[in-house]
Amino acid sequence: MTLEMQAPTPTAVKAGRVGSKVNWGLTLQRVLALIIILALWQVAVVVGLLPSITPGVIEVFGAIGAALTMPTFWAALGQTLTAATTGWLISCVVGVTLGLLIGTIRPLDRSTSVVVEFGRAFPTIALMPVVMLMLGATMTMEVTMVVLASVWPVLVQAILGSRRLDPAIVDTVQIFRIPRALWFRRVLLPSAMPFIATGIRISASISILAAVGVEVLTQVPGLGRLITLAQEAQRWDMAFAYLFFAGLFGWGIATLLAWGEKSLLAWNRQSDD
Amino acid sequence: MTIPQSIHTGTLTTTGNVLLKVDNIALGYGEGAAEKRIVDALSFDVGLGEFISIVGPSGVGKTTLLRGLSGLLKPKVGQVVVGGHVVSGPHPDIAVVFQDYSRSLMPWMSTRENVAFPLQGRGAGKAERNKEAEAALEAVGLGGQGDKYPWEMSGGMQQRVAIARALAYNAKVLLMDEPFASVDAQTRFDLEDLVIDLREKLGVTIILVTHDVDEAIYLADKVIVIAEKPATVVDVIETGFGTHRDQVATKADPRFQDARARILTRLRHND
Amino acid sequence: MKTLTNILWWLWLPVVLVILWWFASAQSTNLFVPPLQKIVESTIRDFGNGLLLTAMATSLVNLVLGLLIAILFGVIFGLIIGETRRLRLILDPFIHFFRSVPQSALVPLIIGAFGIGAEPKIYAVAFACVWPIMLNTIDGTRSVEVGVRQVSRVFGIPKMLYFRRVVLPGAMPQIVAGVRVALPIGIVVMVVSELFASNMGLGFYILNSSSTFRIPETWGGAMLVGVIGYFLVMVFSLFEKRLLSWYFKSAAR
Ligand SMILES: Nc1ncnc2c1ncn2[C@@H]1O[C@H](COP(=O)(O)OP(=O)(O)O)[C@@H](O)[C@H]1O
Ligand SMILES: [Mg+2]
Repeated sequence: MTLEMQAPTPTAVKAGRVGSKVNWGLTLQRVLALIIILALWQVAVVVGLLPSITPGVIEVFGAIGAALTMPTFWAALGQTLTAATTGWLISCVVGVTLGLLIGTIRPLDRSTSVVVEFGRAFPTIALMPVVMLMLGATMTMEVTMVVLASVWPVLVQAILGSRRLDPAIVDTVQIFRIPRALWFRRVLLPSAMPFIATGIRISASISILAAVGVEVLTQVPGLGRLITLAQEAQRWDMAFAYLFFAGLFGWGIATLLAWGEKSLLAWNRQSDD
Repeated sequence: MTIPQSIHTGTLTTTGNVLLKVDNIALGYGEGAAEKRIVDALSFDVGLGEFISIVGPSGVGKTTLLRGLSGLLKPKVGQVVVGGHVVSGPHPDIAVVFQDYSRSLMPWMSTRENVAFPLQGRGAGKAERNKEAEAALEAVGLGGQGDKYPWEMSGGMQQRVAIARALAYNAKVLLMDEPFASVDAQTRFDLEDLVIDLREKLGVTIILVTHDVDEAIYLADKVIVIAEKPATVVDVIETGFGTHRDQVATKADPRFQDARARILTRLRHND
Repeated sequence: MKTLTNILWWLWLPVVLVILWWFASAQSTNLFVPPLQKIVESTIRDFGNGLLLTAMATSLVNLVLGLLIAILFGVIFGLIIGETRRLRLILDPFIHFFRSVPQSALVPLIIGAFGIGAEPKIYAVAFACVWPIMLNTIDGTRSVEVGVRQVSRVFGIPKMLYFRRVVLPGAMPQIVAGVRVALPIGIVVMVVSELFASNMGLGFYILNSSSTFRIPETWGGAMLVGVIGYFLVMVFSLFEKRLLSWYFKSAAR
């Protein structure tokens, strides 16, 4: 490895995002890298380097193709998506509203800080057996688990975001006697939005994590359940295919949200010098 | 011009010609024994349509005084009376142009939305708001630029937006805190002349706070010099220039030079 | 006096919530929502007979080993990828893809492949935790200033030394932040993998008591895992502040 001289380079993420002109050289190299990774995998399977159950690349590709034509797969994907998004949306609404209130009402802020800290650090998935006892292996249980797990990042970020309201804006709002409801909607919310957006993004990946986790562990239908079933049936090729889709799903949501955040919060990048 | 023409009318009660009366006020931060007194025993009157400059060195308490006048900071002693009403909090007759224009404009709103926002707070409908905002932007020389965002504009233009916002609020008194302190010299002259022009056209009463002696004299009918710790009025000077000003001629006027010498001596004396 | 008021402000709500829970659940006839008193009693009992202590030890050892493996691989690969511009550009989408895989989906595969013992749990934790650590390490190497980089080159500092004394310390704050992100993920994966299939550990304790309808134990185990997770995260934050105090000091100058 050489230590080349480097000008301050944009981070990899930025470099990959230069949208207007596609960097064909880089794309080609990435495709090559993918082929090499897949080839190494195949060789490792043939030579017996990986656990014996690991399917080869070609089998997994076959399974991916097969999954795409299976109604059960699409149904499962739809169920995971529904549960994760329902829970996530509830978390966003609840987290933002509570967070902005807590962040701007000082006594509330002081009183709830321990509870919020605790909730944030609490591995919610541990509560699943208990929630399961109360609600059974139902969609309601899954959504409840998703909310319990994903509400915290939004809440915490909304609290942090509302605390950083600029004093100059606070003065302005007072001078022009802006009513509280309008202030909440047009000043506090947008001002905290860059923070909230981060929370919403984190919460989206946690929602998927929680939904799939619940499905893996219980009889609730969905992508996670399919993976468990494939594993129980020793269909490792299918299990890998589902895992691939789970990753694609998580990655797709993350990318979509990052893109949405970038375009909706243009003002934030511009005014931060 | 469709900007507030109603400034001289309305329900304003003025005693004599006095619109705003600052009556022996004291201002400070903190309570009781821990109080840090910044302004003390400070009084002055502002006539209807008058342009007042308050000049004083940095850190003397100009911003604090302005916060007191605008109702953001409650006086420890004394009172501020505007149009016959004691100011007990932010008041519909008082608008402020803040020192930190770049931070007092909201970056998530377009220029038009920023200017219209106080009207929205007052419950005005969208069409009315936009009409008034556009007129105010027109008045500060930013006609047709309502769709731009503050961060797409230069510092001088942002300050014009802040002025437009205060105008659109249609208050009788405009308080300005070092409004031109962070723009370049040429922009500063342009903005000074804009304010003089607006005052002449709209007859709005202006209290402008600055540490710049030349600016204070050039703009005002009456310069109030504050100094000492805690700050109080140490001198009041009538400039007598009338409503018209010229950056070259006015500053060469002997009355300007006299006032300048007097204020600088006064402030040096108080060091 | 002032700290006392602060403590009162902080603690009154949690205390009130626990008291409410205690009394609201005291008369509970719902089989699945036992009185808090029973939960506490069963937990104290199983702490006394060592059941919970062994379970805790098993789970924590798995978690820590998995995390250590993740740190080892995450930091080494992160440093190499971060310092090699080309590699970094090429691998960026793959790392982001692996980071986006919902880690809980891996559990059935890893346990299916490696069986029910401790090993697969460690692997699962390691695999889930390695991505955030690697990503942060890569970011961290970017924060080594160009000047420092050039000086090292000009003086012909050997590569190993350069990594150990220049890049690693420079990237340390980011690496530690990566571990902070990885820790809760690791805890979740630990819990999921034990709830999925196990014969030891806290997850097993929960699973076992729920399948034999010892509901207070199920609740107690779940709450305990949560509390442990909370403490781990808190302890790590304190540790992070300590470890990085030099960093915060130098940043404050
Ligand atoms: N919120 C505050 N709390 C305590 N002291 C303050 C506060 N704001 C300003 N001061 C103090 O009041 C004094 C006057 O400040 P300011 O009114 O901003 O002066 P100026 O605007 O004339 O530069 C300064 O000594 C400053 O430190
Ligand atoms: Mg000031």
